[in-house]
Amino acid sequence: MAAIFESSSPVTSVKLEGLAALKIIKHCQESLPTMVTGSLLGLMIEDGCLEITHAFPFPEPLNDKGDIVKTADEANVDDEAAALDGHEFQLEMMKMLREVNVDNNCIGWYQSMYLGTHSTPSLLDNQLAYQADLSPNAVVVLYDPMQTAHGSLVLKCYRLTDEAVKLKTSGKNTFINPREIFQEVPVTLNNPGLVRSLLRDMGDGLHGPYGEEGGPDTTFDRLDLSTNPYLEKHLEFLCTWVDDLASEQYKFQHYTRSLRSNVDTRNKGRKAKDELAQAIQEGWTKSDAPRRMESLLMSNQIRTYCDQVEKFTGGGFGKLFMTSGIHKEEKTGAN
Amino acid sequence: MAMVAPTTYGSSPALILTKPARSLAAVAAASASSESVPACQVNVHPLVLLSVLDHHTRRQEGAGRVIGTLLGKRNGDTVEITNSFAVPHAERGDEVAIGKDFNRQMLSLHLRANPRETVVGWYATALPDEATGESHCIADTSSLIHEFYAGECDDDPIHLVVDTALKADAIALRAYKSTPVVIKGEPLANMFHEIRLSVRSSEAERICVDRMIGATDSPDGADPTQDEGEALRVSMEKLLAMLETCSEYVDKVVDGSVPADDALGMDISECLSSIPRIRPEAFDKMFNDSLQDLLMVTYLSNITKTQLTIAEKLNESLGK
Repeated sequence: MAAIFESSSPVTSVKLEGLAALKIIKHCQESLPTMVTGSLLGLMIEDGCLEITHAFPFPEPLNDKGDIVKTADEANVDDEAAALDGHEFQLEMMKMLREVNVDNNCIGWYQSMYLGTHSTPSLLDNQLAYQADLSPNAVVVLYDPMQTAHGSLVLKCYRLTDEAVKLKTSGKNTFINPREIFQEVPVTLNNPGLVRSLLRDMGDGLHGPYGEEGGPDTTFDRLDLSTNPYLEKHLEFLCTWVDDLASEQYKFQHYTRSLRSNVDTRNKGRKAKDELAQAIQEGWTKSDAPRRMESLLMSNQIRTYCDQVEKFTGGGFGKLFMTSGIHKEEKTGAN
Repeated sequence: MAMVAPTTYGSSPALILTKPARSLAAVAAASASSESVPACQVNVHPLVLLSVLDHHTRRQEGAGRVIGTLLGKRNGDTVEITNSFAVPHAERGDEVAIGKDFNRQMLSLHLRANPRETVVGWYATALPDEATGESHCIADTSSLIHEFYAGECDDDPIHLVVDTALKADAIALRAYKSTPVVIKGEPLANMFHEIRLSVRSSEAERICVDRMIGATDSPDGADPTQDEGEALRVSMEKLLAMLETCSEYVDKVVDGSVPADDALGMDISECLSSIPRIRPEAFDKMFNDSLQDLLMVTYLSNITKTQLTIAEKLNESLGK
């Protein structure tokens, strides 16, 4: 893969061209309910700004690669064979696109996500591979078809922080602030002049009846008063993840206890206390110790859900009070 | 792309088409209401248009226009164009060279990623005329390329033209179907008939396009609808404006300044009757229930977050 980056300054913002955005949306939306991945092409421009100008999907066999965490581990295994195929596909596609003068730099990848579920080990590993092998500036763009159905486009861009990369590559089993694993990069949608004028024409209804026949008007999706299905789904997810976190905690406790009992049986001398502390220290660096990263990712994900719930309920309150206001007015108007 | 001598269809990497005589001209029929062509409707997705414009801006220096393959679905007389890819080509006088191998390979790559789409036609941008400075949607070479695509897709190919000359302050979009004009058994010309074209987007595309249209209005490209409250305000304002238009119309009908329209009246009354009438007690109960649900969920999520923060702090101080 040709990755030529002139600047070494880290990515601070992402400019996503409408073309790439639509390609991502089309691919993710059409393959629902499967979660899919694809490749991003673009250029690094000055001031840590990354411009994504093109995107293309990976073929079907690769689809499960970044599935929700529960299936990711099994999926990765049977994908070994298909991955090679996918890599060839990617190279071939880039070669073809180069002939028609499309930017030929692979700068990251995209994936569809389900209700903001991004903090998974498989995504972490994938992104790590991109940031380590391709370029430290590689990014992942996540598109959420479920949340977008509520009327506002949800496209997020993430990369791993330097600390997380260091931690992962060194293989240490230490603590890192869960909020500092992924770094969200602000995304702006950007279009060249010609496209802007076309969009303007479309907005003005120049190309056929854009309003009714051109697809449903989505402005009113936001006024939907039924908050329950969305929140229920969130609570359901929260429950599962909290359960997972609890079982992860249990593993930790169990491991600590086993370390302690090992020391106790071997040693009944007076220095036992010091040795115990040392053994526990050593125990955590062993390869069979439970990985902290898993639980850190989980707590990060739970936090994301909480934030989403908060954002959603904020809007929900607004809508609810507005409805009650309208109803009160009706009542007084009727009297 | 190498220019090779005209050969047969199968073996050449770049297919070269030469017109046999000047007489086989491409004629763009002005009216879409020609009786000989069945009524046909083309729905094009914004992605295709954006990709054509992107291809146009990335064209080779000195190239007059760009062409590419359109992918999509056929459903009776309606053709849905959902995807496209660029194909390199060169035009010199009456000769056209199309990257035939490129087209085939790209098609197979596309089919692997999305096997449901088939070739439905081809696109081109308008060809500028050096002599007059005007641009033509249909050029003489169009019929040659059209012939090539006729062999590539199952049914009659659709020809989509995006006029990038911006002569009329707008980007014109046109779709054509072609029929050969045969006089005394001799093919004489290709007649391009314009067919109905409209831009259609899926719900998600629409949300994205709306956001991009919104972004062109604000200078810094920021989207006002990111903030939940602001988004709500925008939606409500739009709803209010629509209601006002509606009541204005009704007032005018009542005044007698606008003739009454039965169908519209029915629509309006249907709309109004679709709003459920809720008794105040029932509404209060509903309101309180939802409010409590929301408060409960907020409380839960806040408590979870607090727990996480405590866990983080503990880990930070103990994990060293």
